[in-house]
Amino acid sequence: MTIVIEALQYLGYVLIFPGFLFCFLAGMLLCGIDRKLVAKMQKRVGPPVLQPFYDFFKLCGKETIVPAAAERITFMLSPLVGLAALVVIQLFIPVFGFTAFSGIGDIIVILYLLLVPALAMILGGAASGSPYAGVGLSREMVTIISCELPLVLVLLAVAKTVGSAIGTGLCFSLSEIAEYQLVNGSLITKISMLPAAAAMLLIIPGETGNHPFDAAEAETEICEGMLAEYSGAPLGVFKLSHAVKMLSLTSLFVALFLGGLGTGIMALDALLLFVLCALITAASISFVHAFTARLKIEQIFKYYWTVVSLLALISLVLAWYGL
Amino acid sequence: MDFPFMKEALSQLFSKSSCAMYPAVPSEAAPGYRGRIIYHPERCIACGMCERVCSGNAITRTVEHLEEGQDKITLTFNLGSCTFCATCADFCAKQAIEFTGDYHMVATKEEDLLVSGSFIKAAPKKKAPAADKSQGCQAPASGGPTVKPRDDGKPVNDPARCVYCTLCARKCPVQALTVDRAAKTWTLDEDKCIACGSCAQACPKNCIII
Amino acid sequence: MFKKLIEESTGKSPWLFHINAGSCNGCDIELVSVLTPRYDAERLGFKLAGSPRHADIVVVTGPVTKQSLPRVLRAISQVPEPRCIVTMGSCPQSGNVFRGSYSVAGPLSKYVDVDVDVAGCAPKPEAIIDGLALAAKILKEKRGRKK
Repeated sequence: MTIVIEALQYLGYVLIFPGFLFCFLAGMLLCGIDRKLVAKMQKRVGPPVLQPFYDFFKLCGKETIVPAAAERITFMLSPLVGLAALVVIQLFIPVFGFTAFSGIGDIIVILYLLLVPALAMILGGAASGSPYAGVGLSREMVTIISCELPLVLVLLAVAKTVGSAIGTGLCFSLSEIAEYQLVNGSLITKISMLPAAAAMLLIIPGETGNHPFDAAEAETEICEGMLAEYSGAPLGVFKLSHAVKMLSLTSLFVALFLGGLGTGIMALDALLLFVLCALITAASISFVHAFTARLKIEQIFKYYWTVVSLLALISLVLAWYGL
Repeated sequence: MDFPFMKEALSQLFSKSSCAMYPAVPSEAAPGYRGRIIYHPERCIACGMCERVCSGNAITRTVEHLEEGQDKITLTFNLGSCTFCATCADFCAKQAIEFTGDYHMVATKEEDLLVSGSFIKAAPKKKAPAADKSQGCQAPASGGPTVKPRDDGKPVNDPARCVYCTLCARKCPVQALTVDRAAKTWTLDEDKCIACGSCAQACPKNCIII
Repeated sequence: MFKKLIEESTGKSPWLFHINAGSCNGCDIELVSVLTPRYDAERLGFKLAGSPRHADIVVVTGPVTKQSLPRVLRAISQVPEPRCIVTMGSCPQSGNVFRGSYSVAGPLSKYVDVDVDVAGCAPKPEAIIDGLALAAKILKEKRGRKK
């Protein structure tokens, strides 16, 4: 009996909160808020906040064309793989005190899983047989490599700070980090963590492939790159994955640096998480989008491996010396 | 790195947008905007000048013969072929073509983009059949001139074809011509005339002979 | 209910794909001006898509030259159903001043069913918004008729 209840409970985690349904609603809303804010900053009115929902449902109702040159199974399945990976990430990210799944090394799991949506996109693009997708996926790979180094450094800095505080050396468990913050206050209050938080804010638009780091999906030059051949529902799922990725990364930021703000009531925590995610989206994605032009791929690489990595490295060194 | 628009983006976040909320708030075209054509058939004299100057071939004229020597003349303006240059309105001697500020020219069928009007005009009388006969095949009754040119290079009007559109009088550099539309008269002040030929060039009906 | 949701959404999120079929660039610039802060078509859900596969509304400008005709037809055929074709400006409707030229294959309606004509040379941005809104309505009707 307890097994059944436990199974139902996990099913609820996966499907409702913090799994699929929460990801869908919160991610799409974040995307809508982002579009609205960018429009505001550009002196426009902007689409309604619910616009991503309209886009998604419209795409569900469109015809799906599979190009003759495409590898059909990979082409149709890769969007689902990407979305599934993102939902799994969301299950591992603690909502302040509450974690659906936890383990001793979930930061490393998340690090690997964050690659899967991009990889799914690369697979799908490669399977579509379009030359635009070819250009797009080579750029996407470079973008992943650029973002990965600073992201690992940021995660190491956090792991070292928490680890040395609780005496385990390096702490790779997000639930432990969350618990530590609930007791000792948010990590962002530490001076050593400030550069890491700034670096994380700069990584978010690069990981999600948002402006100005969207060379891989440049719609004006390479027809949205890997998505060039997608239409209908698979495209809608990719758009959804993009929205959920925004949610995953911003909630990862909340879990890493703002974990001490939790109230202990789950519904309130979920709401607070969403509000914080929206604020981080506004600061790191929308604001940067509004006043920058698209960077070239080598500029993205250079930027992440110098400026952002340096910020993360400073944080790591400070954490190593226990500041 | 330099971000010149960073401050701008932040300040715009809290200020009003510069959108013209068009479908909700109707908007007027600027004065002088050339939109949908209005054609006044009651003013038209079917001189054909508009058709000739139209660069987009947007104007078609059809003549339908009615009883009692009357013609029903229909002018059709195809807005789907129009460049809205307003040359036709400029050349129209009778101001029968008017460009309005109405820019709502959206249609699902091509017929919705046609502006047309028709009027009934007395058919030109077949003048002086006797003269035609005497000249034989030199001057066909329909096309050729029915008056003889002067030898001093000054213009002569062919009343059989003249529609008294006054274009020749307007083009005359020395105001030697007086054309009265109501009285259907065409008079030349021979003292003023310098025999430049502008009137013959301007005539849409080719009825001025030099 | 899901069907109704899709139908409603189809009218609210039309994505544009713009094909220049030998246009003089006047209409192209007016189309871009529709997306600027002044007119901001995005508030009605319009978005310029990068690939014809993502589009709902195909906007064709220019008199459809012989060179561009096969490309135009190929791009239009790649747009998934339901789709809507809008001709912008006088050129694709009739050829306008280019009519009768040896290099012009238009008008577009000879080759595909055109849903909406926006007249003007070039049309005013407001007229373009009118035309696109009408196209979005037709799109919704087409979706409703399907199945």
